[in-house]
Amino acid sequence: MASKTYEYNVEMTCEGCSGAVDRILKRASDKVSDFEIDLPGKKVFVTTTVSSDEVLEMLKKSGKATKFVGEKSS
Amino acid sequence: DTKMEVTLKIDGMTCNSCVRTIEENMSSCNGVYQVKVSLEKMDGKFVYDPRKISPEEIRVAVYDMGFDATIDC
Repeated sequence: MASKTYEYNVEMTCEGCSGAVDRILKRASDKVSDFEIDLPGKKVFVTTTVSSDEVLEMLKKSGKATKFVGEKSS
Repeated sequence: DTKMEVTLKIDGMTCNSCVRTIEENMSSCNGVYQVKVSLEKMDGKFVYDPRKISPEEIRVAVYDMGFDATIDC
């Protein structure tokens, strides 16, 4: 399945929080082929072949308020 | 009811909002009564009900949050 890039809002407030999200996505390297964390903008872009919901669940585990914004028009 | 305490070494926290996130999320865990996380000592003390949750499950829960957690025995 072609991989898509999804955009999420994640309430990250500091380096530690973005570090936690970074580790979560790194551990899911089998599902997440690439990702980008914009701490100031509180945005996370995830390139994946799995559904946006599955990635949403992963991000929610960080304990941060997470919202799915949409698919990034690549 | 029996209550036990376990201390986890927690890596990856840089500020108090990480401490609050862990404390808030872990205290809503079934079987976890009390959570005290220390940024300076980089550890977390959990008072829990061994019949409902085990130290390993607590460790995995913190690990799932994106932090590195090891049981400090």
